[in-house]
Amino acid sequence: MTIDFWGLGLQAINVVILVWLLTRVFWRPVAAAIAKRHEAAQAILGDAAATKTKAEAALAELSEARDGIASERTRVLAQATASAEAAKAAALAEAKTQAAALMTSARATIAHETDAVRAKRVAQSGALAVEIAQKLLGRLPDEAIQVRFLDLLVEAIAALPASDRAALAKTKGGLDLLSPADLSASAKVKITKAVQQALEAVPELNFVTDPDLIAGFELRSAHFVLRNSWQADLAAILKELQHVS
Amino acid sequence: MNSPLESAALFQIGPVPITQAIVTTWVIMAVLVVGAYLLTRRLSLRPSKRQVALELLVDTLDTQIRETSGAQPAPYRGFIGTLFVFILAANWSSLIPGVEPPTAKLETDAALAVLVFISVIWFGVRGNGVGGYLKSFAAPNPVMIPLNMLASVTRVFSMFVRLFGNVMSGVFVIAIVASLAGLLVPIPLMALDLLTGLVQAYIFAVLAMVFISSTVEDGAHTPADLETSAKKKDS
Repeated sequence: MTIDFWGLGLQAINVVILVWLLTRVFWRPVAAAIAKRHEAAQAILGDAAATKTKAEAALAELSEARDGIASERTRVLAQATASAEAAKAAALAEAKTQAAALMTSARATIAHETDAVRAKRVAQSGALAVEIAQKLLGRLPDEAIQVRFLDLLVEAIAALPASDRAALAKTKGGLDLLSPADLSASAKVKITKAVQQALEAVPELNFVTDPDLIAGFELRSAHFVLRNSWQADLAAILKELQHVS
Repeated sequence: MNSPLESAALFQIGPVPITQAIVTTWVIMAVLVVGAYLLTRRLSLRPSKRQVALELLVDTLDTQIRETSGAQPAPYRGFIGTLFVFILAANWSSLIPGVEPPTAKLETDAALAVLVFISVIWFGVRGNGVGGYLKSFAAPNPVMIPLNMLASVTRVFSMFVRLFGNVMSGVFVIAIVASLAGLLVPIPLMALDLLTGLVQAYIFAVLAMVFISSTVEDGAHTPADLETSAKKKDS
């Protein structure tokens, strides 16, 4: 058995070279990769721990904020309820005021319109009454009507106080006697005679035609009127109606 | 059949005879270096399956070194890991027809043993200085200095003989069986030889680590320290 020392030495050198080469191309790179991955994992774990701490702090802050929000919500709700109640009361009061004003205005308007309607109806009633009276008069004989109204005039003069009759008799310029239509000469004489007898004097009579009288005779002076016509009667009726309604 | 104790030179480079074991070693070196380079070209933070396998290999080696020596694995990783990988590749090269493993030759195993012997001195001196390394021979007491000096030689010699005997015998037995019984009969023996090659590579690397770490540890304690610790253990 012989040992080849050249071969021994060469193999030793070969292994030393292999150790050197593999250390550089294999062991160190792989160990460095492991170390780098370990560092990266540690960094990630550190980041995760920091993130967890941050998240826990954020959670605590959020919980605190949530509690604050809840109390703020309760406070705002109470405030809003109070405001709504106040607004409701104010709106109700304003609505009542406005309703009262509207009702007052409506009542005034209704009263005004009622008065207007009433006046219009009174006027229409007067016109209707005049129309009815005219139609009725048209069916009656003029002589009978004049006789009747002359009698009424004489009775009215007789009913006057004696002082008034004397004052009428002494009226300067004479008395106006109003009739609804022109009178014939005989009718004028008859009327003049009846009036002078009733006044127990002979005043001058001026015959005036006034169609508004409808029917009847009226005696007028500068300071006195003795009404004796349907116009005066209707006016009295209308006045009474207005007073009653 | 040639004698396993003799190596025939294929050619000469000056005065240096180049044997088949040396050529095979060069081929194994080239394959390992190129393969390692190709495998470690694209290492990233998001590892591929290939990178995971490489990291598993390195991590396992680091764990073995740490458990064996209790020291940080970085200073020893290159030497111990390369010893293991080279011996394993050399042992398993016998599976290639016509290739005789370099570890079946005396010179290769002797070279590995010499490297372990030198590395023990190197790491001992680097760890504790020359004085610390020399103190390691006085453990547990100065009486043991001659024996420790003898042991530092014999233990690496035993490694060399163990590796050479196991690998050479496996190759020799397979060659004899193949020559006597036929082509397929040695296959179970070759499978067994695979296991033997793996175990021998592991044993050689672990023993090298044990020798290195024991020298470093012994050099770090004075004999007085060691006596004190022994008394404590006895009590």
